[in-house]
Amino acid sequence: MAVLLSDEHRMIQAMVREFATRELLPIAADLDQHSQFPREAVERAADLGLLGMTVPEDYGGAGMDPLAYVVAQEELARACAGFQTIVTVNNSLVCEPILRWGSEAQKQRYLPDLASGRRLGCYCLTEPSAGSDAMSLRTTAALRDGQWRLSGTKVFVTNGAEADLCLVYARSEPEAGARGLSAFLVEKSFPGLSVGKIEKKLGIRCSSTTEIVLDDCRVPGENLLGERGQGGRIALATLDGGRIGIAAQALGIARACLEETAAYVQQRQQFGKAIGEFQAVRWALADMATRLEAARLLTYRAAALRGGGRPCTREAATAKLFASETAMWAAHKAVQLFGGYGYTQDYPVERYFRDAKITEIYEGTSEIQRLVISRHLLARS
Amino acid sequence: MDVVVCLKQVVDPELPVRDFAVDPGTQRQVREGRPLVISTYDENALEVALQLKDASGARVRVLTLGPQQAVSEAIRLALAMGADEAVVVDDPRAPELSGPEKARTLAAAIRRIGPADLILTGCESADWADRVVAPLLAEDLGAACVTFVSRIERWDGAPVVRRLVEDGHHLVEVRLPAVLSVTSDDSNRPRLPKVKDIMAAKRKPVHAWSPADLTRSSASDPGAGVEVRGVVVPERTSRCEFLTGEPADQVAALAQRLRDQKLL
Amino acid sequence: MPDILVVATAPEGTLSRSSLELVAGAHAICGPLGLGVTAVLLGTGPGLVNAPQALHQHGVARVLRVDHPLLTAGESDAYLRAIEQVARTERPEVVLISADTMGRDLAVRLAWRLGAALVTECFELTSDNGAVVARRQVYGGRAVASMAVTRRPAVFSMKPRSLDAPAPSPVAGTVEDLTVELEPGDLPTRVREVLREQSDVGLEDAQVVIGGGRGIGGPEGFAQLGELASALGGAVGASRPPADSGWVPLSWQVGQTGKTIRPALYVAVGISGATQHVAGVSGSRMIVAINRDPEAPIFSVAHLGIVADFREIVPPLIAKVKELRGL
Repeated sequence: MAVLLSDEHRMIQAMVREFATRELLPIAADLDQHSQFPREAVERAADLGLLGMTVPEDYGGAGMDPLAYVVAQEELARACAGFQTIVTVNNSLVCEPILRWGSEAQKQRYLPDLASGRRLGCYCLTEPSAGSDAMSLRTTAALRDGQWRLSGTKVFVTNGAEADLCLVYARSEPEAGARGLSAFLVEKSFPGLSVGKIEKKLGIRCSSTTEIVLDDCRVPGENLLGERGQGGRIALATLDGGRIGIAAQALGIARACLEETAAYVQQRQQFGKAIGEFQAVRWALADMATRLEAARLLTYRAAALRGGGRPCTREAATAKLFASETAMWAAHKAVQLFGGYGYTQDYPVERYFRDAKITEIYEGTSEIQRLVISRHLLARS
Repeated sequence: MDVVVCLKQVVDPELPVRDFAVDPGTQRQVREGRPLVISTYDENALEVALQLKDASGARVRVLTLGPQQAVSEAIRLALAMGADEAVVVDDPRAPELSGPEKARTLAAAIRRIGPADLILTGCESADWADRVVAPLLAEDLGAACVTFVSRIERWDGAPVVRRLVEDGHHLVEVRLPAVLSVTSDDSNRPRLPKVKDIMAAKRKPVHAWSPADLTRSSASDPGAGVEVRGVVVPERTSRCEFLTGEPADQVAALAQRLRDQKLL
Repeated sequence: MPDILVVATAPEGTLSRSSLELVAGAHAICGPLGLGVTAVLLGTGPGLVNAPQALHQHGVARVLRVDHPLLTAGESDAYLRAIEQVARTERPEVVLISADTMGRDLAVRLAWRLGAALVTECFELTSDNGAVVARRQVYGGRAVASMAVTRRPAVFSMKPRSLDAPAPSPVAGTVEDLTVELEPGDLPTRVREVLREQSDVGLEDAQVVIGGGRGIGGPEGFAQLGELASALGGAVGASRPPADSGWVPLSWQVGQTGKTIRPALYVAVGISGATQHVAGVSGSRMIVAINRDPEAPIFSVAHLGIVADFREIVPPLIAKVKELRGL
C-alpha cells in the first residue's frame, strides 16, 4: 500500500489512527451498548477536518482527495463502525452533492458549517415503499408562490436525530421514476419537518437511524439543489461516492476482525498449545488478510478514479460489493475462531459481526451492486 | 517570543523485540528498515512550544540533526502540528555522534538561527537516554537551564516553569534566555495535526545546512576521552517461564510460585 | 592523595540514601585506581550537623561541609556554583553525583565547567587498567552500554537505587567547613514554590508493586490493580501511557524522572515493556508479566509470564491471594 499512498496520505492515516485509538477505541463498546451519539468525539473529529474532508479549503474543508478520504474512513471504522457511519454520511452524502450540484450561494451557506461540525447533515432518499426501488419514491414537492411544499415520509435516515440539514428527494415533476425527482436542502428548523421513529438496530448503534416526516414542509425556492427534475441524476451520482465510503467502512471492520482474531489465537490455549498453531486457524487468518487486501485495492482504485474526475460507477459498486461481503465473512469467521467467548460481549467480535451486516445493505444492497456491475458488463458486449 | 525546539528522530521505541538489533560496527541500534519517529519527549516539548504560540504568538522553529531525507517526515509532522519553520543540519553521521557532539552542533545551529528566548528539548531521548543535550546547550549558549519541565506556568515578565521532582513539583522562576527540557504531562499531550495543516506543511520553509557551515564552540568537550566499549543485549540468565492452561490454572500456578518465593 | 569526590546531601537532617550509594560506587573503584575518597556535603541548617557521622560510619574519612542558606531543596544553580567552587579547589580526579532531580543536570553542567569527561545515568562503576568503566542502560532498557573513561577529571552521575548501600565500615573521620561565594543575584533560576504530592505507600519503598500499562484501558482497571496490591501488601505503579492519559496520578509513574524501583515482586499488567519503564523496574527480584500479546517485550525481562487478558486473571488472583492469606 505504501506504493499508492503519498506522504500526505500516510500522515493523515497516522493522525486518524491516533485519533481513533485515543478517542474512539476506549468508548466504542459503551456507545454500542447504550446507543449513544458520540457528540464530543464528533466535535473533535470536526476540529481535525474529518467532517468535510473533500470540501475545498475555500469552503472551510480540508481539501483532500478521495484516496485520503478512504484511508481516513478505514481508520475510523476500525475503531468504531457506528462513528464512521456518522462521518461518512456527512461527507459523501451531503457535502459532496452540494459541492457538485449546489449554487455558489448554497455552497457558501452550508459547506463551511458542515465541514466544521457546526451543522450535521443527513440524507433522505429511502421511503417505506421505496428502498432498492428508490426512484419510485412518493414524497411530493409542489411549488407555490416561489416556495416549495414537501410532504411524505422518509425512513432509515442516518443522523436523523442530530442533523440540522437534510438532503431530501421528492417528486416535483409529473414523470414517473428518476426523471420526476428533485433534490432539496431542508434545514431542520423549516416548518413542517419532524423526526419520527428512531430505529433500534442490530449494529452501528451509536449512529441514529430515524424517520423524517415532511408535512407540508416549507422550503425556500433557493434551496432546490440543482435543477428541477435532476434529483434522480443527483441521487445516482451521489451514490458512487457514498459507496466508496461504505467500502472503506467495510475495510475497517474487516481489519478489526483480522487484528483481534490474530491476537486472540496466539493467546488462547487448547490441546496444549495456542490455537494459532493449528493449520485450520492459520489458513483462516491468511484468507482474511488476502480478502482484506483485495478489497482495499478495489476501494483504492475506485477512489483514485474518482479523484481523477473519471467515471467510477462500476468500480465503486465492485468495491462496495466485495468489501462488504469480505467484512461480513471476516466477522463471521472471527466469531467462530473466538468460539464461545466470541459470542459474549466481553470481546468486540460480536459487535463487528453486527456492524458488518449493514454494509451489505445500505447505500445499495449487494443485489443492487450486482445489478449495476452486470449492467456495465452487458452494455459493453 | 522566539522559541526553538530541538527534535531528534529515533527508531520507534515501541518496536517489537525481534526487530531490535545493535550494529557491532557503529555500536548503535540498527536503523535500516526500522520505522522512525520523533523521540517521545521531544513531541511534548513541541506541544509546549505550540501552546506558547497559541497563547502569545511566539514564533516556533524546529531544529533537527540528521541525514536530511531520514528526518524529513519528522520535520513535516512538526510543521503540520504548527511549527513555523524548520532547520535541518544535514549530517549523515548524526545517528553515531555522541550526546556532547550533537549538543555542540545544535548550539552552533541555534547561534546561527538567531536569538532565541527559549530552547526546548525532550527530557531524554527515547534511544540513548543520557539526558545531556539540554544542560550542555545551556552551558554552550550561556543560557539558564531547567530540566524535567512539565509546563510553562507564566511566560510574561519573569517566566515561571513547573518542574517535576521525585515527590511532586517545584515552581521555578527562570531568567531568559533559557533551555528547558520537557517531560510528559497531562497538559502537554502532543496535538494531532489537522488535515488542512498536514497539507499546509508542504508550504512552510525548511532550511538545510551542512555541519561544515557551522561554527562549533571548542570551550569544553565532555565526550572526549569517553569510549563506547560495547553495546550489548544482556544475556538472559533466566528465560521467562510461561504459565499455561485455563485462567484458573494459571492463577493457581502463579500463587504457588509466589508462595515458593516467600512473596505470599 | 588525588581523590574521588562524592557529592552528598542530607535533606531533613539524615544523609540521603543516594549519597551512600555513591559511596559504594566510589569504594568499588578507589582501590584499583589508587584514589582516596572525599565527600562534600551540601545544604543548609542544623540538619548538616550530624550527617557527616553517617559518612564516617561508611568508610569516608574526609568530609567537606558546605552550609549556605541558598542551598535549599531543588536550588540547582546554587548547588552547581557551590560544587564547582569546591571542585576547583579540591581538583578531584573523579566526581560522583546522584542522577536525581538536581544531579541529573548538575553533573552535566559541572563537567562542562570543569572541562571534564562525562558519563551520565550509570548503574555500575568498575575499573579496568586505569580506566573507569561505567555501564548504563540504553534503548529503553533493551541493551547495556559500557563506557570507558580514560580522561581526568571525569564526572559520573549514578542512577538512584542502582547501587546497593555499602556495609558499615566505621573510620575516624574529619569534617572541614568550607565557605562558598554565592549570592541570589548569581542564580539564573530560583525555586519559588515547592508542591508536594502525597502517596500512601511510598512506591520506592514498597516490597510488592503492581504496575499497570496502556492495556488496563482506563482508571477502573487500576482500581482492580489497587485491590490486588492491597491483598499483597504493596503499592500500585504505572508506565507512562496511563499517567499521560490521566488514569492515574503522575507520581505513580515508574521508569523516568529517576524513579527506579527494586521491589521483591513486580507484577506488570497490560504493560508492553517497550519503553523506559523496563529500565525502571528491571532490578526487581521477581518480575511477573500479564499481557495479551505473547510478543510483548515485557516477557523478555519477566521471570514468569501469563499470556492472557488481565481481566481474566486479576480477579481470580485477588481471590486466591486473599484465600491463602486468610483475608
